[in-house]
Amino acid sequence: MSRRNRGGANTTFVNNVRGPTSALTSFLNERGIRRANPAPAPAPPPQAPTATVGEEEEEEEGEDEEQSSAASSTPPTRTTRLTRGRTIVTTTVATSSRVSRSESAKKDGDNQDVNKEDGGNDDDDGDDDDDDDDEDYKVQRTSVRISIRSTRASSSSAASSSKAAASKADATSSKKRPRKKDSLSDSDNPEDKDFHDITGYVQRSNFSHKGRMPQGSNKIEFCSRCRARFTIRAGTKPAVDEDTGGLLCPTCAGSPSPAPSSDQKARPVKRLRRKIQKVEIENQIPSLQDLCIKKIANCIEDVEAFGDISDISLDKICRIISRNRSLSDETVRLFLDPRHYDMSLYDCTEITPVGFKNIAYLCPKLRSLKLKFCGRINDAVMSLYASHLTQLTSLSLIGPILVTEATYIKFFEAVENGFEKFELKHSARFSLKTLKALCENCPNLTCLRLGDCNMMDDEWIEPIAGLTKLRSLRIRNPGRGRLTTEPVVKLIQAVGSGLEELELKGCVDLEDAILVDAIRPCCVRLERLNIAGCELLTTEAVENLFKDWSTNRGLNYVNLENCILVGDEALKALTSHSAETLETLSIKGLDELTKEALLTIARCENLTTLDASWCRAMDDDVMKEIMDSAPKLMNVDVWGDHRLTECCVSRKGMKIVGREGDYLDLKFI
Amino acid sequence: MAATTTENEYVTLESSDGFQFIIHREAAMLSGTVRNMLSSAGQFTESTEGVIHFRDIKAVILEKVCKYWYYKARHLNSVTEIPHFEIEPEYVLETLMAADFLDT
Repeated sequence: MSRRNRGGANTTFVNNVRGPTSALTSFLNERGIRRANPAPAPAPPPQAPTATVGEEEEEEEGEDEEQSSAASSTPPTRTTRLTRGRTIVTTTVATSSRVSRSESAKKDGDNQDVNKEDGGNDDDDGDDDDDDDDEDYKVQRTSVRISIRSTRASSSSAASSSKAAASKADATSSKKRPRKKDSLSDSDNPEDKDFHDITGYVQRSNFSHKGRMPQGSNKIEFCSRCRARFTIRAGTKPAVDEDTGGLLCPTCAGSPSPAPSSDQKARPVKRLRRKIQKVEIENQIPSLQDLCIKKIANCIEDVEAFGDISDISLDKICRIISRNRSLSDETVRLFLDPRHYDMSLYDCTEITPVGFKNIAYLCPKLRSLKLKFCGRINDAVMSLYASHLTQLTSLSLIGPILVTEATYIKFFEAVENGFEKFELKHSARFSLKTLKALCENCPNLTCLRLGDCNMMDDEWIEPIAGLTKLRSLRIRNPGRGRLTTEPVVKLIQAVGSGLEELELKGCVDLEDAILVDAIRPCCVRLERLNIAGCELLTTEAVENLFKDWSTNRGLNYVNLENCILVGDEALKALTSHSAETLETLSIKGLDELTKEALLTIARCENLTTLDASWCRAMDDDVMKEIMDSAPKLMNVDVWGDHRLTECCVSRKGMKIVGREGDYLDLKFI
Repeated sequence: MAATTTENEYVTLESSDGFQFIIHREAAMLSGTVRNMLSSAGQFTESTEGVIHFRDIKAVILEKVCKYWYYKARHLNSVTEIPHFEIEPEYVLETLMAADFLDT
């Protein structure tokens, strides 16, 4: 992102990355709104307090050069030389105060940059530490790591920070001199909260990885020549460009010719042209897929013309047509054949009740029926299914908004004992009464999936507890305050012994007792566990669940997405319990995990899919370690893992999705 | 640069039953999948040699797809009425699957 900014103005420093500020940031800056300064108010500066703002700004600039290894030439040489002597003395203190302040205000960065030359911008942060903070903590230009720690650890110790530096920094932070005093005195915690209200910022985990990182951790820098991001491994020194003094990535260091830069510049233009071209094409000429689908719709009358199609390709074709949203009453007839036992239609938006009825008339032997987005299915169709599809054992409906309570009950009474699998999502009319009818009429149900049912609450749990043959239970997104811990604990204690799969995704009100009192003692056969989005579950509970859980032989699917309180110990316990069996793991959004815990994922040798998005401690080293130990690993999601660079190793057939570096170029096109 | 353009003006597409289709690079680039194969940054054989093997697409279908690419390339910026592109019903399903794969 940084590379695209040619204007120089309106830039900010975030994690060593410079780019245009967001609309919100510029708005806040414009209005003079900024986060309060967590550090105590600094005392007046030792040098003449009457110095003008302009001069002070130039001092700041000079100091930046002082800290940087770059020898970029900036115009105000006089002031630079003047201030150099002074800043050498106060460098460490200045940085510490600046860090503490800059946690709150990004404004200084903006103002400084307005005055800076482009070249200086690119080269001058050679010494800077990379920043592991959450996005809200924007530490800029931190050259002394220790000083950061001290400011974080005790803000009182930062009080000793030099008066000169602090007030100087403040002067630069707001150009309007008169405002300066106000902003200083205002900078208390209350204002801090106000800021959060304004921005709608939600407190997540209020800590930095910086303190937890081992001392010799890797740094990420930008190459001064090709602008690519690269990792400086701990203890090694990167190559330095002889001409400009900037750092060089391994590729550029190997090939001294600056040729690739011209390539880099040429690329976006090409892409842009291509994109425009693409839009034009799509406006004029229909895609081959559309042509084919149209042809299918036209020729649907004589299905024989298509020849024999295997079930697998038929399903594939169904997916393609659904993806194009072209499954209609006409096209669906391609998939209707009296010999079929299973049917899955992936997008029934366009299918009318007549089309749904045709399914029952033309495929009377259906055992399993899955209809996605079946918004137009109604009572008449459901009654027809109940009377005609006598062999139906599995029904899956997504979004049946028109079907009423009474029809569900009639349907369940008709299908009776044979019914094994029922899935229902996004239904506002499915009520406790219908659920009771389901549980009474279909005691042999092995698989029950209820998602986004608006009426779901604690009372629904009791009838489900009577389904003793359940092997798979999924309850998803019951809504806040609808489903509480106690009934769910009872439910799992009743049916848990048979469960192979348990999903409680988005049951936000569930507490630790679920894991410790219900799942651990009861779910001995459990293989798949999904507790994504259960925000109240703590590290201790997850750790207690997996620690010495000898009754369970190991899980192969675990989803801990967005369980924001879960930390290191939990992941360590999980990876040691299910080391041999785990195949799919999602730890998306577990912000507090550190490198140490992430490295334990390497114990899982059979891992095939890993979602480690927003685990900010994830870096090239950890990824390499995991990849080396898990030969079957094929899919990795790494959205928002900013320490992972494009240099991280990959192998044939492996998909790494969401690497920041892969999208840098696309962002501005 | 001139030498490389002449060299790369054509690409070779090979079907599952061994037929080779040598077509203009520009036309082949109309497919999202082929474009990614030919322009990916890594040193893949597809991008270095300009030969792509499609193990799942038969010659009849690949020919149809190539025809479509040329049809599209020709009428890309035309202002006159575009003629209909004819697909035989017996191939339409396989063509659909190939088109889906090739992002065409």
